[in-house]
Amino acid sequence: MSIVPKETIHVIAQSIGISNLHDDVAAALAPDVEYRMREIMQEAIKCMRHSKRSVLTTDDVNTALSLRNVEPLYGFASGDPLRFRRAVGHSDLFFIDDRELDCKEITEAPLTKAPLDTAVMAHWLAIEGIQPAIPENVPIDPLSAPPEVKKSDIPGLKPDQMTVDLKLPVKHVLSRELQLYFEKITELIVTGADDVLLKDVFASLATDSGLHPLVPYFTQFIADEVTRGLNDLPLLFSLMRVARSLLLNPHIHIEPYLHQLMPSVVTCLVAKRLGGKNFVNHWELRDFTATLIAFICKRFGHAYYNLQTRVTKTLLHAFLDPKRAMTQHYGAVKGIAALGSKLVRLLILPNLEVYINLLLPEMSSQDQANELKRYEAIRVYGALQAAAGNCIYEMLQSAPPSRKKPANNKSQSTTRKDVDGDASMHEEDGADDKDEGVKRRRRALSEAWKEDVEVGDLINSLVDLFGEEMLPFIPMREMSKCIL
Amino acid sequence: DNEAGRYKESYSKLRNWVHSSLDLYKTELLRILYPVFVHCYMELVAKGFAQEAREFFQSFRDDHQPQHIRDLQKLEGVITPQHLQENETACTLQENKVHVKMCQYSFELLLQYLQSTESMLMLGIVNSHINLKAVLPGQPAALLDDDESSSLPAKVQAVVEATNQKEIHWGILEGSLEDKFEKQIAAELEKADADKDAETDEAKKRAADGKVKKVKRDKAGKGLKAEPAARSVPRLKPELTMPLLTDDFERQALDDLRNRVKLGSTALPSVSCYTFVNTNNSLNCASISADGAYLAGGFSDSAIKLWDMVKMGEPSMYSDAGKQSLNKRPTPIRHYIRLVGHAGPVYGVDFSPEGDSLLSASGDCTIRLWSTRLNANLACYKGHNYPVWDVQYSPVGHYFASASYDRTARVWSMDRLQPLRIMAGHLSDVDCVQWHVNCNYIATGSSDKTVRLWDVQTGECVRIFTGHRSMIVSIAMSPDGLFMASGDEDGAIMMWDLASSRCVTPLLGHTGCVWSLAFSGEGSILASGSADNTVRLWDVNGSSKVTADKTRRLRLLKTLPTKSTPIYTLRFSRRNLLFVAGAFSPSKGH
Repeated sequence: MSIVPKETIHVIAQSIGISNLHDDVAAALAPDVEYRMREIMQEAIKCMRHSKRSVLTTDDVNTALSLRNVEPLYGFASGDPLRFRRAVGHSDLFFIDDRELDCKEITEAPLTKAPLDTAVMAHWLAIEGIQPAIPENVPIDPLSAPPEVKKSDIPGLKPDQMTVDLKLPVKHVLSRELQLYFEKITELIVTGADDVLLKDVFASLATDSGLHPLVPYFTQFIADEVTRGLNDLPLLFSLMRVARSLLLNPHIHIEPYLHQLMPSVVTCLVAKRLGGKNFVNHWELRDFTATLIAFICKRFGHAYYNLQTRVTKTLLHAFLDPKRAMTQHYGAVKGIAALGSKLVRLLILPNLEVYINLLLPEMSSQDQANELKRYEAIRVYGALQAAAGNCIYEMLQSAPPSRKKPANNKSQSTTRKDVDGDASMHEEDGADDKDEGVKRRRRALSEAWKEDVEVGDLINSLVDLFGEEMLPFIPMREMSKCIL
Repeated sequence: DNEAGRYKESYSKLRNWVHSSLDLYKTELLRILYPVFVHCYMELVAKGFAQEAREFFQSFRDDHQPQHIRDLQKLEGVITPQHLQENETACTLQENKVHVKMCQYSFELLLQYLQSTESMLMLGIVNSHINLKAVLPGQPAALLDDDESSSLPAKVQAVVEATNQKEIHWGILEGSLEDKFEKQIAAELEKADADKDAETDEAKKRAADGKVKKVKRDKAGKGLKAEPAARSVPRLKPELTMPLLTDDFERQALDDLRNRVKLGSTALPSVSCYTFVNTNNSLNCASISADGAYLAGGFSDSAIKLWDMVKMGEPSMYSDAGKQSLNKRPTPIRHYIRLVGHAGPVYGVDFSPEGDSLLSASGDCTIRLWSTRLNANLACYKGHNYPVWDVQYSPVGHYFASASYDRTARVWSMDRLQPLRIMAGHLSDVDCVQWHVNCNYIATGSSDKTVRLWDVQTGECVRIFTGHRSMIVSIAMSPDGLFMASGDEDGAIMMWDLASSRCVTPLLGHTGCVWSLAFSGEGSILASGSADNTVRLWDVNGSSKVTADKTRRLRLLKTLPTKSTPIYTLRFSRRNLLFVAGAFSPSKGH
């Protein structure tokens, strides 16, 4: 009936030494306790309003209590969150975890830093009704600026009246603070500060709202530094992270500068050589950049419909050119894979078989003596495998194969669920099916871009190409249906 | 058991019937649901069906939530008959019948329903607690959509109607600064005209440089001419003895008025924002002096902090001393002066018109007077028995008014420690107070959702303004003394015509408490500052000039958002520069 159960009343009674409170008394008191509590809270809310706050504090409750001539509750003013603990052995008894403190410890502890003192800052919120673009103000939305208001939109307005409403945003002036900020950030990036500092830098770039005026400078900075510092891997990494932070910043409208930013980003993905010496781990940078590109396409793809097409074209070009270095191929595959399984189906799978055939000699230790090159080839192979695998996985997730199994597949009726068993299963296939199966699968692979392609065939052909390593990508349920 | 169940059953039947009625009558019939709901609940409680009452309340609460949330919160805890006697909201509801207006047709529909279904319970409730009024015989469309009438108890309604018949004088004061200013302008204008006549004769003889001069003079003349046109506001003799202004101050004020920027829908004001930082949520109120030179903040730790904004740009004296001294640790730089004296949170501060003194209202039931020249406490006014929520100087200084938790507003003069007048009548806390420009009236806003206007001389209530849906937190008076704006907790602002006590138009847009309202110097723009981190500028020129034309709506001119700074106070300087102040309070999410 009341939100205060009568058990609570019993507990309170016990705490003040009344052990044999009658049940009826508790039941009668409970609703009244609730009512009084609500009353106090109403008063506390009143105090909160007069303190012009929207969050109720313990102080408000104490003020409300003293208004009612009730002793305030001591010990709750610190503002720390209270920790309630359940009493051992009781399911409904809670107490506040109030540790005993040693006074000596407290007195001997070094003084904590004093909190910052209250201060007042003054700035122009508006000048003749227009908000100046200064860091103290909410960033103005550049997209809502004049172009949307066309003269034809407002009938019956004379042109000279129009000018009144169409005051342009205040001219682009970099404040001293912003200049300092830019200098400091670029310096930190170029000199390569320690990780903690850099982390703060990226966090600041990703969240600060007043940075919009700096965007052209930053894009220019990234472009310059990428061309200059192709051998400096940490620098490139930092630059990509700067780009990502800027893209993440919700207060920045980076769209107009994307065309400047994209070449640098693409460079970091498919450049022939990143980082000075060959053994530097540039793969990580390529992976990071691939996800960055995918992010850009996802976020701005709707605004620039040809953005993704252009990016894909570049990547495909890099992928299909056999003269390019393995590293470039790797970047291209990673980039396409990051853009989604549809593109993998469209661009990679049809070319997969030819490509793998070219790749295999590079990977074998007999044909390729250069160990580094062999390693690179293996990386590309891995990337292809992951791309194809994820693609299949997503296809299966979105459209599980509905096809009935071919009649000649004897082992399809199997109910075995374990992966190992399934893996071995496909080796049991009859030899005569195999020729026909292989043909069909080849066809399936080269026609992977078609909508109606059979997932089962695709899987099989991929398993042919990659062997058992493809199997972990396929969910068990589907596997049992598709594997021939 | 059965009896309790019948309440729920018949109410839900009535509710279904209303909801399934024709849209044409639905809006009118819906008005009856809330009073019936509340009285059903209270009857259940009175009969001791606590459990059933709670269930009934919970099952239909959502229907009334949007409009009556605050009342519902107050009623929710009431579960025993004893609470019914104590609860303020419940008492008022029980004592008073509620007026519900509806057209003849809806009225008959309702009666027919109540009789045909033989729901005696509902009929009984409607009979004993609701005063149904069939106002218009025509179609409901003709009825105005004012639901204020449904929420107001009948007894109060009668008082309101009687009170609002009283005569008030809304003109501005003879001998006030504005008056003096206009007289001065008029005198100058005559002189200028005479000069011009003389000059035109000479101009024919003179060369080009004279021409330039003349153009200039013409411009000045035009600007001045426009001024007396607005002079339709009658002048009043003051009822209080007015304090004398110092010559210096008067000269400066007149100079300010002369340099006042003319504002309007096309000429928006410049806004200077003072942001308090590192307040740790302890800033309760703020006030800015008329020239923007001083800024005071009242804090929950009982202190008042006073900033001299003129000195802010300069390097502090303390810091220089710190550098030169041998002790290498610099002494902390403090740009403000701390005024200590109160023994409770400071809920209101206000500067005198001259800016040389400061009043503060506090939770320790006192009002204190501080000198900004001496930085010391001059007087402590005791009289309220409960926390004082707000205090305000009269436009001429010397007198001030306070609003308190004890449901009274009091008028004081600086030289007496006891109040001159006690205004009692509000049914709940008086939350804010505002002087009329002619000093003969004060307006008070209360938690009982009404604004009242009081005659300072007699202490009588002369106007009651009803229509707000929640507690009033700010009031402003237009400089011509004709209009008043009041802002409430939900973010609604209402413009009132003082003479008729009618709401000219509600200004909707804010989503948080409207902490502060201010009219520009010539009354063409209303600025509002709110807890939703925005300052909004409203065009009110339309209303004050074309009062007869009711269709003309006041419009929002501009919304100026801040970076997470709720606006606690705002005021126009005499030169029409808008000062706003608030405490920077970043949201917890970051």
